[in-house]
Amino acid sequence: MSRYSSEEYDVIIIGAGIGGLVCGCYLAKAGMKVLICEQHNKPGGYCTSFKRKGFTFDAAPHCFGSYREGGVMRKILKELEVDKKLTIIRPDPSDIIITPDYKIPFWNDLERTINEFQKIFPKERNIRKFFYLLLDTNPKSFSKMRNLTFGELLDEYFTDEKLKAILSLPFFGIGGLPSFLMSAFVGAKLFSEFLLDGGYYPKGGMQTLSDALAERFKEFGGELLLSSRVKKIKVKDNIVKGVILENNTFLPSKYVISNCDARQTFLKLIGKEKLTTEFYNKLNNMIPSNSNFIIYLGVDASFKPLYNPGSFIYYFSSYSIQKIYQSIQTGDIEKYNVFLLRVAHDKSTIYAGIPVTYKNKNYWKKNKYKFLETCIEKIKWCTSQDLLKHIVYKDAATPITLHKYTYNYKGASFGWAGITSQFSVPDFRKPSFIQNLFLTGHWTTLGVGISGTAYVGYDTAKILLRKEKPKETK
Amino acid sequence: MVNNIQKEIISIISDVTGFEPEEITLESNFYNDLEVDSVKAIEIVVAIEKRFKVSIRDEEIPNITTVMQAVDIVKKLLKEKEENVQV
Repeated sequence: MSRYSSEEYDVIIIGAGIGGLVCGCYLAKAGMKVLICEQHNKPGGYCTSFKRKGFTFDAAPHCFGSYREGGVMRKILKELEVDKKLTIIRPDPSDIIITPDYKIPFWNDLERTINEFQKIFPKERNIRKFFYLLLDTNPKSFSKMRNLTFGELLDEYFTDEKLKAILSLPFFGIGGLPSFLMSAFVGAKLFSEFLLDGGYYPKGGMQTLSDALAERFKEFGGELLLSSRVKKIKVKDNIVKGVILENNTFLPSKYVISNCDARQTFLKLIGKEKLTTEFYNKLNNMIPSNSNFIIYLGVDASFKPLYNPGSFIYYFSSYSIQKIYQSIQTGDIEKYNVFLLRVAHDKSTIYAGIPVTYKNKNYWKKNKYKFLETCIEKIKWCTSQDLLKHIVYKDAATPITLHKYTYNYKGASFGWAGITSQFSVPDFRKPSFIQNLFLTGHWTTLGVGISGTAYVGYDTAKILLRKEKPKETK
Repeated sequence: MVNNIQKEIISIISDVTGFEPEEITLESNFYNDLEVDSVKAIEIVVAIEKRFKVSIRDEEIPNITTVMQAVDIVKKLLKEKEENVQV
């Protein structure tokens, strides 16, 4: 591996989210001199936890998926030997969908889940076929899905409107889109990652996953700089030269990988003046995914939840995808009847997410606490009628909070919205007009959670290492 | 024109897979040589369809395994489009 001077890095990664950490681990493991710069005081991006009054809360993601045999997350954590640092648990059922008529558990045993659906919808013949289609990783099976919405895919397999609604509802929480807009392909990935092979949880909280990756990165020889915001990517003659930190320190490097928001990367860190009009317009026309209003409750020891602690609950009081979507778009707080919720494995905390649009600072300043109280009233339905008596601590994160800690554009939970028209954004990943610049993480693809982001990080490292390899043999 | 089609398809594949254009040949197999997974396969198809304003038939996609086959299909579709316009 080429070394330039003791000062220069082979690679500087901006952002210690899961994509940046995984990418950094693979590069450092291969012997590259890697630095990760993170603006927050802890690694993880969205995948962090925080402590308040003795309670530990997961900030945003509540679990990860694709940890089955052959799953991409298992492969990555095993290859990096990060799995040895973690105790990964999985509640059974991992998820429960609750509608006005049904409570449908998603068991760890897929066949058992299929039976649950079959019992409720005996006339539907394609349930098994559909679930296995979602889990199929053969590229050839997906060709048909590229132009379909998830709603259209459901229409091809099922006739019962309630069944179709039940299989669509979770997307308000994962991906943040109604099935009539969600790309079938993105929907299939999300559904399998979150529901069919989801619910994996690192004991101690989501932060332990980020911390374990950060620790492993350092063991591989990588350097992690926390509380260090990058303000500029230095480019000369269309070649990346390094990064400039907020305190004006220049750090030289051969490659720069941005694991932060694509808009921020191009418009702020690179600069609008370096973009072609065509590229700028493309970037400007991209639609981000929805954000979330996240509620954090700490409860006392005598709290007894209605459902299995650890299981993730999708609660919907209506089957009308259209109406729910409208209420999210208009921010009609009183009409909200959708939330995703988990009582922690140890029953000490409750996490609830409600899909919302960004709005603005003033809107959330005015509405945050009112909204929190309204939601707590509703959460009673699937936690405990006595919930209010048990709450010891309560707070919430608005899209503004999510943006503040991660700089994700509009507090978007899943990068770009997973709609069919936004498919294929390869030049956001490796822009052709600047050499040695890569982007990674959820803004370089569509609709992914933790395992998807990890995969993109792994893939970026693989591409970069392939680029370096021929030089090594010279 | 014909060479341009080939060049542009290789450029799309390069963008998606991260392989340099000079590493991609007409004989390259998407799955064996270019490490194309399900996401990348879809991205390549969609990017080609968008760029050339054509629509590849669903049932044809599983048969496209090499760069050459992708180039041939695009050429065929563009020719059909041209003929339709003339009619």
